[in-house]
Amino acid sequence: MKKILCALLALMMLFAVSALSEDEERIVLYASVPEDWAYPCVWAWNEEGVNAFAAWPGEMMEPDPNNAGWYYIYLPAGMEMAIVNANDGTVQTDAVAIDKKSAWITVNADKTATASFDKLTEGDAPEYTERFTVYAKVDASWENPGVWAWEDPSGKSAFAPWPGRQMKANENGWYSAMVPAWCNCVIINANGGAVQTADIKDLDPADLWITVNADATFDVTYDDPTAPKAADIAVYATVPEDWAEPCLWAWSHPDGTNAFVSWPGEAFEKGEDGVYKIVVPGWINSVIVNANGGTVQTTDLRVEAGKDLYIMVISAEEATVAYEAVN
Amino acid sequence: MKRVLCLMLALILIALSGCAGGPKEEAGVKTVTIWHDKEDKVIEVLQNALKGLENEVKVVFEKKTGLTESLKLVGNDANAAPDMYFFAHDKIGVYAEMGILTPITDILGENALDGYVNLASSGAEYKGKIYQMPLYFETLLFMYNKKYMKEEDIPKSTEQLYEYMVRKTKYGHYGFVEQHSTPYYAAGWIHGFGASLISADGQPLLDTENVKKAVSYHKKFVSYMPGETEYAMVNTLFTSGMAHATIAGPWFVPTVRAAGIDVGIAPMPVVDETGLALAPYSGIQGLHVIKARYNKNADAIKTVLKALQSPEIMIALSKASGCAPAMEVCYENAEVKSDELIMAMRTTAENAYPMPNIPEMDVMWTVAGNLLTDVNMSGIDVETAAENAQKKAEQLIEAMK
Repeated sequence: MKKILCALLALMMLFAVSALSEDEERIVLYASVPEDWAYPCVWAWNEEGVNAFAAWPGEMMEPDPNNAGWYYIYLPAGMEMAIVNANDGTVQTDAVAIDKKSAWITVNADKTATASFDKLTEGDAPEYTERFTVYAKVDASWENPGVWAWEDPSGKSAFAPWPGRQMKANENGWYSAMVPAWCNCVIINANGGAVQTADIKDLDPADLWITVNADATFDVTYDDPTAPKAADIAVYATVPEDWAEPCLWAWSHPDGTNAFVSWPGEAFEKGEDGVYKIVVPGWINSVIVNANGGTVQTTDLRVEAGKDLYIMVISAEEATVAYEAVN
Repeated sequence: MKRVLCLMLALILIALSGCAGGPKEEAGVKTVTIWHDKEDKVIEVLQNALKGLENEVKVVFEKKTGLTESLKLVGNDANAAPDMYFFAHDKIGVYAEMGILTPITDILGENALDGYVNLASSGAEYKGKIYQMPLYFETLLFMYNKKYMKEEDIPKSTEQLYEYMVRKTKYGHYGFVEQHSTPYYAAGWIHGFGASLISADGQPLLDTENVKKAVSYHKKFVSYMPGETEYAMVNTLFTSGMAHATIAGPWFVPTVRAAGIDVGIAPMPVVDETGLALAPYSGIQGLHVIKARYNKNADAIKTVLKALQSPEIMIALSKASGCAPAMEVCYENAEVKSDELIMAMRTTAENAYPMPNIPEMDVMWTVAGNLLTDVNMSGIDVETAAENAQKKAEQLIEAMK
């Protein structure tokens, strides 16, 4: 009889583990954190020191709607250690061993943490879903912005009830929130949902940046406007004597973004030492020096972005590029 | 003193024989030299396959930069030319006209290419003679990012593709990108209108009604793509997740996968107006025999060709190259059948056009490229651009004579 009970218990335990949505690819990590720990994140790594996420403080946890006070996140299988942190990584636990298993971490007010491998929450973890980040920069009159996200045409929403998920304020003036990848529509709102944008529909499951004006009009881009932009650079050039009024044509390869509107580009200024100079955006990585109204030119010259250039044009076919002045 | 002189002469002769060009031949073992432009892993397959011939024939593979130009220079010189070259089929016409190739059928018999995929055997033919023993072929493929383009969104027709582009090209993302003004890529659209850049007998066809229709129709798609779409730019847009779909060769797939893109392959969309699928050019890769060398080394060359004309080797080559095997029987192999990429190429091959292998095609790449640039990027009307391009092509072809 005992053997049968043991077998039944073993089967029940197996069932319990499978119900956690743990699979060959991922484990689920739960955490309960002190009240003043906002937007908790997890940083995790495996025994080879490979991190689960690209940069500290890791990825933000989701509140479990069925277990108040508990947050969860899915980690790649094989993670050995984890740190729970919050408030933009300014508070954190010590490293907690999770031994490649789903775990429940309780974080105390003094930042100590204990891990349990016995389930401490009710029901199953919400199903795994990929997420993307919605960033918003809103007018000053829009306080505590939030994001409302749903799938069209089913109407299934990610963060009921309205006004949805409050966005986290970041140091660079942008707010952010993670949204399930199955959502293809969002609204940015604020002031408790009293102000909002129109529906922003038919979105791709990719990080996006939304700038919202006071009148609720908005601009959207998938190109990160906060990505560091290279400072301007100076381009110095010497050209053959018969190259009159030299110009620079510059662009970014391979995306083809041009620094100037039309060929032959912008004219160099001649310095007292006879060397021509022009200042251009630091993101360019390809240039052509041309002259005589664009009728004579070098070949495409690929250069390192963000560095001053010293170009010696010997002929249309021959030019050298240096990154320091050549005496 | 005489003895000393004799000894010195003997030493000089030995030294000279050691300095002579070309690989040394061991007793009874012939050497066959094959020029190629392929990756190491492709050549490894051939080397392994030829190990069994070691006591009979030693095969030397030489990777050659500027292979096609070098052959123009030395193709008739038995002392400098390779025995064979391993390359795409599209230079066959040039070399056949130069008289530097031996037809494969002269070596392996009239039925040498029985059992080959039609696309492969037709690409190997020039003026009724077979000049290549095909090993594998490649075609362009319709690729899409599964994260963005759902199963139900995969366009079956060009109008569906257009609607998708209109809907999804926004906020910095593109629904579809391709090298719209490069003839190799745009040819698929032209073939989709039942047209061609050039006739089989070398007449340019750039001002024909169907070419003009195709270019006009294609332009509305171009307006939803970036202005400049060179190779690197299109690839970067797709690998960085900024474009949902593209048309590219199988060689691009490893790069896409390395970038973490979950890539899907779909059949080419069908042009609504014609009912024809976009039909890209394809390249057929295989062995070509140099006549000047065949006259001296016939047995060894034949032995190598026969050894390499094997479905097993073609399957191994397709795995190494990411391309599709040239013989029909290979597609009965379970591993081949389960390879999405290879089977997509096999399907596309039903409609694909082998790149024209006639010498006149050499001038068409530039002229057709100018036509596409004029229409797609310079705003010149199709009629004028096509007329200009046709005249230019005719002039250049006339100058070849």
